[in-house]
Amino acid sequence: MKTVLFNPFKKYQENYLFILGLAATLLGSYLGYFFNVRYDGVLDVHFANNTTSWQPALDNLSNIAVLTILLLALGMYMNRKTRFIDILNITLISRIPFYLIPFFNVGGTMERINSEFLNTLLSEQIPDFSTLPLNSVLTLGIFALISLLFIIWSISLLFNGFKIATNAKSTVHIILFFTSIIIAEILSKLLITNLINS
Amino acid sequence: MKKLPVFCPSCESNLLVSELSCSSCDTVISGKFDLPQILQLSAEDQEFVLQFVLNSGSLKKMAIQMNISYPTMRNKLDDIITSLQANSNS
Repeated sequence: MKTVLFNPFKKYQENYLFILGLAATLLGSYLGYFFNVRYDGVLDVHFANNTTSWQPALDNLSNIAVLTILLLALGMYMNRKTRFIDILNITLISRIPFYLIPFFNVGGTMERINSEFLNTLLSEQIPDFSTLPLNSVLTLGIFALISLLFIIWSISLLFNGFKIATNAKSTVHIILFFTSIIIAEILSKLLITNLINS
Repeated sequence: MKKLPVFCPSCESNLLVSELSCSSCDTVISGKFDLPQILQLSAEDQEFVLQFVLNSGSLKKMAIQMNISYPTMRNKLDDIITSLQANSNS
């Protein structure tokens, strides 16, 4: 079970992983549209108003492209035998945890709570959070914790998959991997903000 | 089957073959012979090399047979190559 959840790349063949990753991406994009969620960065998920059908799909496409290109370049630098399909599969599969987040916005719940928090934060010089309903605070707290776990899950999938795809073992390789993730996050954020949202 | 020791349990250096005997006529040959490089690998790695040859060098076929992914299989081969290179340099 641990292998299936955190390191499916160790066991499953590339064709199976690719089909699973592609199906998850399509489903995740649809869920984004259905529940008004934007995947506006490699490690980002935000609730929005009136998401169009193409926005979450383009978000995913940008995130997958940026992450695949960066990790493939790094993988080829570390090990010439690194294959495109393995890196693509890692990117596709590692995004599955993010596709579970839209379910939190059933009936626009999270979007409403976010707006309540933002309104309180912006309405006064010293925000009074005690005016917020306890339910909203609890829901937001639970959501924040689960989101954090999903991000850790996603990064674990990326890290374990990258180690297998490149046979990376040294500390320098690991540092370069995490640096690439940060660069991918910045690039994807810039790409989505400037191209898709404009 | 008894496991062939390849490293000295005292200083961890590579062991040499110092005696060979014929099980049929009891002839004994003494000397100092290096162990073949393949035998210096772990039993698991030797089994991998054997399977690799039996599968005509197809890592893909081996991966399906052993129910693990191709890159995992290729990494195993790369690690064996690295340890063979390290053994030949030592």
